[in-house]
Amino acid sequence: MSKVSNYKIALSAIVPLILLAIVIAFLMGPGTNFLEFGIVLPEIHLEQIDFVDGEIQVIVRNTGPIDVNIAVADVNDRIQPAAIEPDNHLSKFETALVRIPYDWNEGQPYSIGLTTDDGTRFEKSVDAASLRLEVNTELIGYLGLIGFLIGIVPIMIGLLWFSFIQKLGSSKYRFFLAFTVGLLLFLAFDAIEEASEISQSHLSDIFNGQLLIATVVILSFLILFSIGNSLVKKSQFSKISKPLAISLMIAVGIGFHNFGEGLAVGAAIALGQVALSTFLIVGFAIHNTTEGFAIAAPMARTKAMILRLVGLGLVAGTPAIFGTWIGGFSYSPFSTVVFLSIGAGAIFQVVVSIIQYIREENENTLSNTSIILGIGLGLVVMYLTSIFI
Amino acid sequence: MFMILTSVAVISALYFVIPAVTDAAVEPKTFLTHTGLAIQTTGDVIDPIGYTGETLEFDPESYLREFDYGTVSELEDGTILREFTITARDDQVMEVSPGVFYNVWTFNGSVPGPTIRATEGDLVRVHFSNEGSKSHTMHFHGIHKAEMDGVFENVGPGGKFIYEFLAEPVGLHLYHCHVHPVEEHIAHGLYGAYIVDPKEGRVSADELVFILNGLDTDFDGENNFYGANTVPFYYQHHPVEISTNELIRAYVVNILEFDPVNNFHLHGTLFHHYPAGTDTVPSGFNDMLTMSQGEREIIEFEYKYPGLYMFHAHNTEFSEKGWVGSFLVKDSEKNYSDEN
Repeated sequence: MSKVSNYKIALSAIVPLILLAIVIAFLMGPGTNFLEFGIVLPEIHLEQIDFVDGEIQVIVRNTGPIDVNIAVADVNDRIQPAAIEPDNHLSKFETALVRIPYDWNEGQPYSIGLTTDDGTRFEKSVDAASLRLEVNTELIGYLGLIGFLIGIVPIMIGLLWFSFIQKLGSSKYRFFLAFTVGLLLFLAFDAIEEASEISQSHLSDIFNGQLLIATVVILSFLILFSIGNSLVKKSQFSKISKPLAISLMIAVGIGFHNFGEGLAVGAAIALGQVALSTFLIVGFAIHNTTEGFAIAAPMARTKAMILRLVGLGLVAGTPAIFGTWIGGFSYSPFSTVVFLSIGAGAIFQVVVSIIQYIREENENTLSNTSIILGIGLGLVVMYLTSIFI
Repeated sequence: MFMILTSVAVISALYFVIPAVTDAAVEPKTFLTHTGLAIQTTGDVIDPIGYTGETLEFDPESYLREFDYGTVSELEDGTILREFTITARDDQVMEVSPGVFYNVWTFNGSVPGPTIRATEGDLVRVHFSNEGSKSHTMHFHGIHKAEMDGVFENVGPGGKFIYEFLAEPVGLHLYHCHVHPVEEHIAHGLYGAYIVDPKEGRVSADELVFILNGLDTDFDGENNFYGANTVPFYYQHHPVEISTNELIRAYVVNILEFDPVNNFHLHGTLFHHYPAGTDTVPSGFNDMLTMSQGEREIIEFEYKYPGLYMFHAHNTEFSEKGWVGSFLVKDSEKNYSDEN
């Protein structure tokens, strides 16, 4: 190909972009008032409320189309003096920290309000005030132990089913592989549901929570799908067996998922929701045993290698510990939504891998009673254990 | 390709998650609240209660003791004629509390409007003109002919009207716009006090006007701010200076919208109160005054001891949203001896 034609190709790619830029400049550029009609209302969102010693702290974001100034802060609709850092002017998307000196009471509900310069009041409520957790070794140990209990311990227990699955005939084995598919599908939908709940109650509308979830789920699926494929391909030429590659992908997917679960538990502890966090911890512990099973199933046709199984268990379970720490010390609804969605995408990828594997094992078809029964039962079992959460 | 997409996603995610880095003042300052809590901050302080900045557009300090007696002339029959010029507007945006801007509707450019004052039997003539974009009127409480009631004769944009009536009865009354929806016209600020003095006059006193009002700045049917003479917390950061053993006469008018009852509580002394100021015998000796919408009372009191005394709504929701102030009582004897 000559240089001239390359140049032409590049030009033909760029010209539409330039034209689009001109159109945008015409619509929105400086000095144009083409789109200035209608009423523009300011909007702010109180993203996070923390209770520290003698002070209530609020992180506020300008989620509206115009700059705003914060003029008044209130606690329970009673005006309070406050400091606002770095300053009271918020550009579009900018955040600020509002510090309200206040002698708050443990366990009491509060609603915090901020009024913008046009006199509009925005508020956010907290069910029960509790002191923000401060990082110290004792708490790191405590949260780490909880992460260990919800992540690693139940997965290791679940892996003990390995020798049971190993002894099964091929039809029953297919059933349990399909059962794993059911478990994982449920986990993925569970993660999406939780992510959308968090985005609805904690993320402001400008983040487009539902679309964020869809985007991240699909992206993570695609990325892990390509990594998984290359891993499985490599397994044909190396020591890593195909079942191990699939188990590893399952472990990675579940690891992302457990990271999200860890965030939820850590956040519940940090928010002082003792009843909720107890439920979450017990629930996840029961629920996650099935994850160990899911990791073990594809490996059951290979030789038992305890270290490999333990390694896979750690890959899947350890993220729960990090999740608990991060959720406990600096909870961010945005990153929780992102991680739950990555987890869901990862699990969908794993589901596809296992289904391919079952098809190969089952003469290229999925229409087999044990497979259909397995998937269905997997979903039902997960639904039943999910009631504990 | 996937790596590019991921990095774009991650970078844009960080953009949202990490707060924008802004230049901050390096020197932290200590900020002490009215309740004695102190914090160190490098940011801005938003404190309408302990406000120390410049006086806002409307000055409750001067409004407190400002009476409009009108342009006085004598008619042939000896009657005193008091002529007032009042202009209504509805386009002003005023800083009603530090940093809060609200579209006020005004008589003569302020909320509340001027305190109109006449003596019993005077002829009051109000040259009213409407420079607003909506219809407005002036409805006076008191005794007058039906066509002077400012209810059925809406004055349209650019229109004029002359209200004329004899000042009666003696007392503390009010005036406000009576165009439908009246709640909206009052809530935006179209009201003021109207005082009719007895012919023989009242005992000399330090006279003050308190219009108890509120501001619904986000139009949700609830007041965001309460106050005496509009600006929330004003007399808290600028106490009203008075003297011991001097008679204080306060004209208290409740023009609050949305809340059916308002009240006035005085610290450190009690007052005699006269409902609507129409009687010469006080209705009681109290430190609490409870008024429904449109009610008003004249109160008279003295302070025995110097010092800082609060006055506020005993409905503490109102006081913690601005309807609170203080009297700084100075020792009159000490002042006297200082001067000599």
